[in-house]
Amino acid sequence: MSDFWNPYAALTAQSRRLHGLIAVVGALCIWGALAMSGTISSNKLPAPWTVMHAMSYLAWDNGHSILLSATLWSAGRVAVASVLVMVLGIPAGILMGSSPRINAVLSPLVDPFRSAPIVALLPIVVMWFGIDELMKIVFLFAGSVVYLVPMVRDAVLAVPQSYWISARDLGATPFECVTKVIVPMAMPRIADAIIVGVSVMWTYITVAEYVNAREGLGQMIQNSKRFSAMDQVFAGIIVIIALALVTYQVMSWIKRRLYSWETLV
Amino acid sequence: MNAVAAAPAQPSAISLSLQNITQDFPSPSGGAPNRVIHDISLSFNHAGINMLLGPSGCGKSTLLHMMGGVRPFGVVTPTSGTVMIDGKRCDGPSEDVVMVFQQYANRPDMTVWENVYFPFTLKLWRNKVTRAEAKERTEAMLQAVGLADKRDLFPYQVSGGQNQRVALARALVLRPRILLMDEPFGALDAQTREEMQLLLANLYRNNPCLVMFVTHDVTEALILGDRVIVFATQPAIVSDDFTIATPRPRDAAWLRSTEAVALQDRVLSRLHDASAGKGSLRVSY
Repeated sequence: MSDFWNPYAALTAQSRRLHGLIAVVGALCIWGALAMSGTISSNKLPAPWTVMHAMSYLAWDNGHSILLSATLWSAGRVAVASVLVMVLGIPAGILMGSSPRINAVLSPLVDPFRSAPIVALLPIVVMWFGIDELMKIVFLFAGSVVYLVPMVRDAVLAVPQSYWISARDLGATPFECVTKVIVPMAMPRIADAIIVGVSVMWTYITVAEYVNAREGLGQMIQNSKRFSAMDQVFAGIIVIIALALVTYQVMSWIKRRLYSWETLV
Repeated sequence: MNAVAAAPAQPSAISLSLQNITQDFPSPSGGAPNRVIHDISLSFNHAGINMLLGPSGCGKSTLLHMMGGVRPFGVVTPTSGTVMIDGKRCDGPSEDVVMVFQQYANRPDMTVWENVYFPFTLKLWRNKVTRAEAKERTEAMLQAVGLADKRDLFPYQVSGGQNQRVALARALVLRPRILLMDEPFGALDAQTREEMQLLLANLYRNNPCLVMFVTHDVTEALILGDRVIVFATQPAIVSDDFTIATPRPRDAAWLRSTEAVALQDRVLSRLHDASAGKGSLRVSY
């Protein structure tokens, strides 16, 4: 206990997992107790076991998995929008970070949107891009790219100038400095930007799928709400959180494998 | 030492001259500009290790940066005067001139070998040196600085002295005619610094070139220099300029000799008279 207030005394992995497990089980117990006590009606707060039951119904019912097809649709949209964000956003961020002039031009067009109410843009996106797939992809893209571009730009700017000076001295052209020095050195933080960008999409997926809902996890939740199936709404939310968590963990693992030098410098 | 590195090269003709160099930096408070270098003229006409010795912050690094490497941003250097290399005015990076920094800019994402090979991946050197020759030179250079067995390690896996060996190897692999060293061993501990000084003396013997070595360490200047130029500070002016004929390597016994002690006293008293309280020198022993 002497290390309770010491931020540098890391717990062992086992101890950390145990603490987390106790917290989650504790929260589930409180939730269960609240639901059983009857102080909150089951329309508002379904019991954990009801949610589990709804989850299993959604996962497999009558030879058909609503959950699987909904997940595939949502994940597919996130994947397409992610590719778009990376293909357009990363080069934009690198250009802004590498040239103060480009940054001066694009920064006032990009930075304010970081704090813009993206959800409020939904009606405009619908008006411009219709109500089909294109609109959903564009909305996810817009919600994510406003975070990604400034983060990539800042990743580039965070590369210490000494590497640039040294490369110039060795004979690199300014363009070679960008391609052979700045970008490779910024890659770990660019990877962080991608991780944030993709994670943000999972938070916007339900909004995107509320419009003209036919498939996807957002539609599933919307549909359940319409029939007041609160247990299925909870199940849907839990699935989205789990997917976002898994995506995050997998991407972080890949990043650590690719850029193991970053934390050891 | 490796056979390639051990074959003594013929020193090629070289000339470097500073003509009436003056440098002003704008004052941060917006007043009259701050003069850091005042009317310095020096010339160097043959290979040799030239030590630019002066208190910290006296402008000797600024002077070094003018001779090549990369000029500082936002300020015109020099304010007046000219740097001539082989009779041509020098105003930017040149392939004849390579610099070794105190902050060894070794790439953390590249192995020791890749760090030394890095210049050959640039267009300038790709057009001059074939891939096979570049690999051969990298290999020989790693041998020469004693890092052959560390080639696949990353900079964070080797010591500070070994990192500075990587930086030195990356500069020398280009066979520069002028090697600029900006307090390269300043951040190292005493023992490692001695090892690096010996290494530099050995590398120099096999590949003589014009070395301009900035330091604020009197002992280092005496151990390495063929010629020692002492700067007084604020603004920098040449306060002393002498040659040391004793051949390298010069050991600790030589440092206690009458000649060395006299030189050390001469440097310290000169500087004390010229710029008392304005900066400090280091004496390692």
